[in-house]
Amino acid sequence: MLRTLGLGLAFSVGATAAVLAHHGWGSYDASKTVVVEGPIATSNYSNPHATITVKGADKTWTVTLAPTSRMQSRGALPELVAVGKTVKAEGYASRVEADEMRAERITVDGKTVEMR
Amino acid sequence: MLHDAPQVLQALEQSAFASAIRQSTWAYLTANVGHILALTLFVAAVSIMDLRLLGAFAASPPGAVVRPARRVAMLALLLMAATGFVLFAAEATHVAGNGVFQIKAVLLALGVANALLVARALGPALDATPAFKPLPARVRAAAALSLVIWLSVAACGRLIAYF
Repeated sequence: MLRTLGLGLAFSVGATAAVLAHHGWGSYDASKTVVVEGPIATSNYSNPHATITVKGADKTWTVTLAPTSRMQSRGALPELVAVGKTVKAEGYASRVEADEMRAERITVDGKTVEMR
Repeated sequence: MLHDAPQVLQALEQSAFASAIRQSTWAYLTANVGHILALTLFVAAVSIMDLRLLGAFAASPPGAVVRPARRVAMLALLLMAATGFVLFAAEATHVAGNGVFQIKAVLLALGVANALLVARALGPALDATPAFKPLPARVRAAAALSLVIWLSVAACGRLIAYF
């Protein structure tokens, strides 16, 4: 019974949280894929997620990548996402921040790396 | 970084300490895993403690179960606080503005306050109560509340990433 109580409260907390929705992994619009292609303007190879800004055709996007340990293990080293490189990022736009997207995969120098 | 966040949080996020966590390949990851491992230890100890107060494991006198379990819970809580601070510092302004984190912080305070109230409500009864004798109703109620609060804190911790 206690467990049921606990789970019940946890879910009600979750529901309350949904109302207060803020910045998080759930707040990206996965119903349509966004593709941004252009030169990397800034590169922040750090945790919990690396980010780059990309001068796209329409605007400059902040592209959220992956934790640096995953990037490294998949061969996306800091040099690959350095400033000046041309990148193609495919992913989902944030519903919260207008110019932000999270990348599902990036292609640089003909090399495609999955971010998830 | 959020520029409308309190200055103390902006300062924390910009500190050399927070920057070192973000730049390191392993620091954030290690703190994250450590936080979860400490949580499993904490929930285990709290469950044993609260279930005994509720009447489980009745063959052992409450003091014999609750005292050692409480020491483990306090150690685990310290570990969670230390690892949690590392995770928080790395992106302090965003985390502090997260609605689920705010709920978690309130529940955390309630959980600690409730634990202190349980200790107070128990008083000498912790060591004076023999095996098989039920504890007072208010102690049992507070133990049930404790389980609900701490499981909710854990759920909120995971949900921060999704809101």
